[in-house]
Amino acid sequence: MAVTAQQAMDRWGGGVCPFEAGWRKVMMWTFIITDGLLFAGFLGGYGYARIMSVQWPEQETVFNIRLIALMTFVLISSSATMASAVGSSKASGPARDATGRWLLLTALGGLCFLGLQAYEWTHVIEEGARLYQNPWGDPLFGSYFFLMTGFHGTHVLLGVVVLVTAAIRWSKGLTSPEGVELAGLYWHFVDLVWVFIFTLFYLV
Amino acid sequence: MAGHSESFATSRLYWGTWLALLALTMLMLAIDSSPLPRAAFLTLIVSAMIGKAALIGANFMHLRFERWVLPVMVVVGLLINGLILFALIAPDAVRIGAMRP
Repeated sequence: MAVTAQQAMDRWGGGVCPFEAGWRKVMMWTFIITDGLLFAGFLGGYGYARIMSVQWPEQETVFNIRLIALMTFVLISSSATMASAVGSSKASGPARDATGRWLLLTALGGLCFLGLQAYEWTHVIEEGARLYQNPWGDPLFGSYFFLMTGFHGTHVLLGVVVLVTAAIRWSKGLTSPEGVELAGLYWHFVDLVWVFIFTLFYLV
Repeated sequence: MAGHSESFATSRLYWGTWLALLALTMLMLAIDSSPLPRAAFLTLIVSAMIGKAALIGANFMHLRFERWVLPVMVVVGLLINGLILFALIAPDAVRIGAMRP
């Protein structure tokens, strides 16, 4: 069905939002795309180093895959609690009251993830890995490991701060359901990035 | 009542997605520990990764409920830029690897 000039104006002329979403959500998505490209750059650089490397370390000799699987489980579970927080914030009645609890539970998941990551980093550093060298093979391995997981961990830490702030503001009635949704988008993005890091760095 | 059933439906979607993500992660770990040929291993593991990413994007980030231009903007923006990035640098990496004595 052809779109009339008036309909096009309604959609694109500023009268009606073309995405049918608030500007804050569109801005959050724009941020997610740009931040996603940043991680894509990291993963691209990692792929480059990996392909041209003569002796890339075997993951099984460096990492405890069970620990990494546990970290993945924690992050996936925190994503589910975050989605529940978003769902609760839009519901009515007792379900709505649970929003703050879901947010705090998600933040707790983020803290658990960070604790496990700190444990992993400690182990890898004790084994002799640094940004510029490691005992297992290509020196670039340490650079990519610390930069990629560190950059992701920083995102998780920021996410925890955002979630706790959102929970406090929600309890005071200062945050709207859209605010919770935006915090959720960021948190799910952090989970999404981990899917790629987990697969491409730890498994492949 | 409608609000209650809607809330139940979204809860089921979220926790169903969580279960699917968990199952895919277990599958990936099983693939990782299987003695598969490299090509089969890569195909399976990358497929599972894309499946997980799609589940998170569609169900947790609600892209399936948004107006179509938003998911198109996100997916095309990330996919095309990502592919260009890899397509441009991968041949160079292979070339440098081949130049080693």
